[in-house]
Amino acid sequence: MDIEFILINGIVIACIYGLIAVAVSITWSSLGLLNLGYGFIFAFAGYGAYVTSRSLSEYPPVVLAAGVLVGAVGGVIICALIFIPLHEKPNFTVRGMVGTLAISLIGSQGLLWWFGPRNKALPEIFGRWQVEIGGTVLTSDKIGIVVCSIVMLILIVRWMRSSRRGLEIRAMMMNPHAASIVGIGIRKTGFYVMGITGAMTGLAAVLLSQTYYISPFSGITPLIKGVSIALLGGLGSVRGAVIASVILGFAESLTSTVLGGQYVLITQFLIIIAILMIRPRGIAGILDVAREQ
Amino acid sequence: MHEILNVNGLSAGYGPLRVIHDLDLTIKAGERVGLVGLNGHGKTTLFYAIAGLTGWQRGSIVFNGREVGGTRSQGPGRYTHLIVRQGLALMPQADELFHGLTVEEHLDSGAFTKTAWKTRKQRKERVLELFAPLRDRLKTPVSRLSGGERRMVSIGRGLMVDAKLYLSDEPSLGLAPKIGIGVMEALLKIDLSGSAMIIAEQNVALLEGRVDRVIGMHAGKLKGEASLASSIKRRKA
Repeated sequence: MDIEFILINGIVIACIYGLIAVAVSITWSSLGLLNLGYGFIFAFAGYGAYVTSRSLSEYPPVVLAAGVLVGAVGGVIICALIFIPLHEKPNFTVRGMVGTLAISLIGSQGLLWWFGPRNKALPEIFGRWQVEIGGTVLTSDKIGIVVCSIVMLILIVRWMRSSRRGLEIRAMMMNPHAASIVGIGIRKTGFYVMGITGAMTGLAAVLLSQTYYISPFSGITPLIKGVSIALLGGLGSVRGAVIASVILGFAESLTSTVLGGQYVLITQFLIIIAILMIRPRGIAGILDVAREQ
Repeated sequence: MHEILNVNGLSAGYGPLRVIHDLDLTIKAGERVGLVGLNGHGKTTLFYAIAGLTGWQRGSIVFNGREVGGTRSQGPGRYTHLIVRQGLALMPQADELFHGLTVEEHLDSGAFTKTAWKTRKQRKERVLELFAPLRDRLKTPVSRLSGGERRMVSIGRGLMVDAKLYLSDEPSLGLAPKIGIGVMEALLKIDLSGSAMIIAEQNVALLEGRVDRVIGMHAGKLKGEASLASSIKRRKA
């Protein structure tokens, strides 16, 4: 057993699934939509990057940007198809979930029909070099994945903290009713939220494609993991989702090294169940600071 | 003076519940009106109907020369942001704050309309002059404030825009009497040239003689009206 290997793998997994988990969390708390369409956005962005690398350029930043952009477009499409028509209907939570799940399944079948069942590979984005720190070998793709996702997360969090649109989204996350009272339009904000979270998913797709191939259904597993991590983090808390993704990332890499890859989902859900039994609100419940007297 | 608000034949409610029954109300520019009535008789619903936040509504609401009412059976809040941009400042009951945002971010969110956003610094200064205790609390999340401070934040947020119509829902509710009077005084200080204000309040004593009109509300209808003169007369007697 190799501790460093487990640690590094855990961080890499945490970064990729953390992006999706944060996206799920933001959408849920600001729009009240448990968006299961990220499975489709994930594959859609992967194919977008693939088509770009084939027809336009294999220059790494272009491929990366294409994935992020196509992901954002996918988010906007889901917003227009599901959120806009449904959001003011009764029982929107369930309808929205079913609708986005339908988009995920139909979209994946559509990709299967268009591109065929053969897996596609993206060019290597981060080159093929490696550094050695204290006897541990860090390959370029692992460093690239960690750096890219952390930079993306920091950029988004800073943008949400400092800009007018960010204030708008945070206000919606905390109290949608009061947000409309101060003049924030739900529909317009919906497009921003879905565009940004779609971009995060797109980035995750391109990053994961450095390890796995792109296939029409490649988004389903990341979706399940992203949603369960968001659930563990407390659905709606960005910090909670980040911490949860680190916990589950380590759990996954530990399980797959010690027990084997087929047990990953079992241990993951056992951990989630255990934590949610003790802390029903997930990790966000631990982080919340009550008013000091 | 021109009319700021003209409500005509308004009914509104939530689902099967009808809270407001065929209500007419006219507010002119420069007026400060008290709306008095017991709990559950429709004061908040009237405000929500003006803001388009009720479950359904019917009847005409002409705000600032534009029809913002009409018949609507679904989508509470869908047009609220457009009505707010027309110059409506709603200071809701129970404050409706964003629990994780700081005081300063709340004031910024009050100036969310495009024109107000550019001058939000001066506007914040103006609100802080009115509510001095908030000045040291600008970076504090509102979840750590006391009830009185939260009310100040909620009202201050409403005052960040140059509204045509201020709707203040029970500004003294749940506050210690002294703090309640202070909040009310701040509301009475606001300059109303070209705009109007409705204050819903159960504590009539706080309003008496200090607003232009007091309107009673009972079971979803307006009941009786006392002008400034008559309320002063009653006070002297």
